[in-house]
Amino acid sequence: MIKRSTYLLVALCSAYSLAQTSVVEKPNVSTVASTANVGLPQHIASEVVERGPYLQSGTPTSVVVKWRTDVATESVVRYGTALNSLSKKVSNKPLTTEHEVTLSGLSPNTKYYFNIGNRKEVLSESTSGDMYVITAPAAGTQQFVRAWILGDAGTANNNQRNVRDAYYDYVDAAPQNKGKTDMMLFLGDNAYGSGTDEEYQNALFDIYDDMLKKSVAWSCLGNHDGKSADSAKQSGPYYDIFTFPTAAQAGGIASGTEAYYSFDYANIHFIILDSHHTGREVGGAMYNWTLTDIQNTKQDWIVTLFHHPVYTKGSHDSDTEDRLIEMRENFMPMMEANGVDLILNGHSHSYERSYFLNGHYGFSNTFNPDEISKGGHTVGPNGFGDGKVDSNGAYLKNSAASEGAVYITTGSAGKISGGDLNHKAMSVSLNQLGSCVMEVEDDGRGGQNLTVKFIRDTDGIDDYFTINKSGLDLKAEGKESGSKSEGLLYEADRDLVQLKLDENERLKKVKFYNNIGKLVKKSRRQTIKVGKLPKGLYIIEVITNKRAYSESITIE
Amino acid sequence: MIKGILFAILFLWPVAQVFAHGDLSMRIAEKTIEISENPGNFELYYERGLLYQQHMEYSNALEDFITSKSLGNTGKALYYAIAEVHYLIEDYGEALKSIVSYLELDSINVKAKKLEAQILFHLKSYKKSLEAYRYVIHTMSDARPEDILEYGKLILAEDNKNYSGALEAIQYGLEQLGPHTISLQLKKLDYLIASGQIEKALEQYNYFILEYNRKEFWYFKKAKYLAEINRPHEAFISLKLASVAIRQLDTKFKNMDSVIILIEQIKSLENSLNNQKL
Repeated sequence: MIKRSTYLLVALCSAYSLAQTSVVEKPNVSTVASTANVGLPQHIASEVVERGPYLQSGTPTSVVVKWRTDVATESVVRYGTALNSLSKKVSNKPLTTEHEVTLSGLSPNTKYYFNIGNRKEVLSESTSGDMYVITAPAAGTQQFVRAWILGDAGTANNNQRNVRDAYYDYVDAAPQNKGKTDMMLFLGDNAYGSGTDEEYQNALFDIYDDMLKKSVAWSCLGNHDGKSADSAKQSGPYYDIFTFPTAAQAGGIASGTEAYYSFDYANIHFIILDSHHTGREVGGAMYNWTLTDIQNTKQDWIVTLFHHPVYTKGSHDSDTEDRLIEMRENFMPMMEANGVDLILNGHSHSYERSYFLNGHYGFSNTFNPDEISKGGHTVGPNGFGDGKVDSNGAYLKNSAASEGAVYITTGSAGKISGGDLNHKAMSVSLNQLGSCVMEVEDDGRGGQNLTVKFIRDTDGIDDYFTINKSGLDLKAEGKESGSKSEGLLYEADRDLVQLKLDENERLKKVKFYNNIGKLVKKSRRQTIKVGKLPKGLYIIEVITNKRAYSESITIE
Repeated sequence: MIKGILFAILFLWPVAQVFAHGDLSMRIAEKTIEISENPGNFELYYERGLLYQQHMEYSNALEDFITSKSLGNTGKALYYAIAEVHYLIEDYGEALKSIVSYLELDSINVKAKKLEAQILFHLKSYKKSLEAYRYVIHTMSDARPEDILEYGKLILAEDNKNYSGALEAIQYGLEQLGPHTISLQLKKLDYLIASGQIEKALEQYNYFILEYNRKEFWYFKKAKYLAEINRPHEAFISLKLASVAIRQLDTKFKNMDSVIILIEQIKSLENSLNNQKL
């Protein structure tokens, strides 16, 4: 009787988080082994693919393909731009069950079909063309981009499947770029309860198998992943499963760790942080890396993701929990000052989406809806609006006013857990299952729209908003190649610098300093040949009998 | 039975509400039920202690760990957990006792050696701390930048003039983690400046200037350093380079708060240098 009553009690206490689970199905690894080729041509293969293939660390010219087999074998990926002609091949000879093959020398923005196997046979392929990688566009490219955002998805139950299917329905019926998903962004807690290998199999690979074969997956570490992942040693299932850039292979700056990293995709810079294991203090290694990385990007959009939410009143509370407060107080002032546009978090199992914010680092009750110029925390005339193009209007950013970011806590891709859901900085707070899609596209006026939609498990779109950024085409002033200024004329085609002096002015000396401030050339002439100077930026210091001034030129 | 269930609901529901910490609160509540059914099971107390620790309820965690020990738990993991909680509440003496007990059972565990080193550091036993950390650094399979930085800090704690040792540690980290690992390159700069290696520090600034896309912040930082070491003319040139780098940015970057602040800082330093001339 005791056992029965305990069971009932636990079931009751868990009811609010599990009530929506109609049927809990947990396929196990052996099931996967026998279903790895469902929808794909059957091969009588001596080895079986138990996991994958899945795509990692995509760049404009490379991608990592990973998969697992039941027995150790060589690793071979055959690939090509035509489905019926996979003429290129990359092989790794060492026998392994954990396969990791890097395809390099690829062309940007190009679709490559591939299959996987060993030297003798193909173990997994898609004759219908559903196994491919589209390489990332070159950094800076303005084009349509779609990212699927999944927070706290890893329940491996029907909630998760329904959320997945709703996205698949959305993308299959999308009015433009149908079926295209450029990347999957996981916000952590990808596999409950401890992110073990088996839990990852059930909650990630079995659930998203189809998408993982054609869309590069990125992730940040969640607290449940962190139970089995050891960030201190970069080991454990999370770090074994994922391969992330540590040396800026995909853009950004080298972090030296997979715990936090960045990458570029088209004209978007993504910054992925570890809010769980890694120190969150100002001046710490992750902070210094983030500061340097964000101040080094020239991308049009900056998106960051980490697990612990900056603002939430869901199943977690950003007013009382240390990681959440530290990320908000330590990282957000710096990231906002450097132009972050969108912040994606999970952890709370709900959907909460902010107004267009800047400078709110306190508790919920300190939020001031006024515009920042009036001492408040919202940006622009409609920053306290809903951000909907067809309602209060899109949130606006332009080259003259770069403040403003939207914060989303979207941790309901696997379950919902309620909470007060009344954070004052949030425009929308929903205790509903769903995932988000982010789409960036041209606005037709030289700018771009970044739109995020919350797609419910029931296929409905319960929230959406747009950030419009204009002035993307306002590039830098012409570099001073062939430039003219008050003090000099640089004739690039003749490799000449001509100094402009007044009638009674006598030149005393001219010095050229290169891009690291080193003195590289001296002259006393008014017309100076610069043809032998290497390309680059130069400061020219001019001293006459009447004045001293400096000019700059860029030799290209 | 119904009475029992109702009692438990009344007990557990408020607990879940008070914690408001999602799954973790629920798991603590579940574990509490298990303990009530098996009060002599030391494993359950240990497991609940770990949950309390994750929930940052350190006194409850410690209480459970001690109960687990009193019930017969002699596992090394328990010693590690006790040491870790003591470390987190800054009771370093007790933390050391427990980690020593752990290391008597398993003297080569890298994680335990690292905690031992960190405890010894707080106890100002720098030599022993460094010894333990040296083992960690040269044994662990995947060091992080944070590990290398901590190693450098311990080297200097043990001998505050040993910048060559600290720089060697950074170099080791760069070889292990990649030559451009930014947090290590930044720390290298700090050490070069602190040890008065002026030309090498300037070379390090140049490394950042040449390596990265956007240079305006680096030019300014270099100028500031040059001003500090009384090389105003070079500082002036570096400020000019910073201003040009800003001019060459796309418009959207020029209006970012960080760049607006940088422009003010450049003007301020320029004024300061000009005043020096006068």
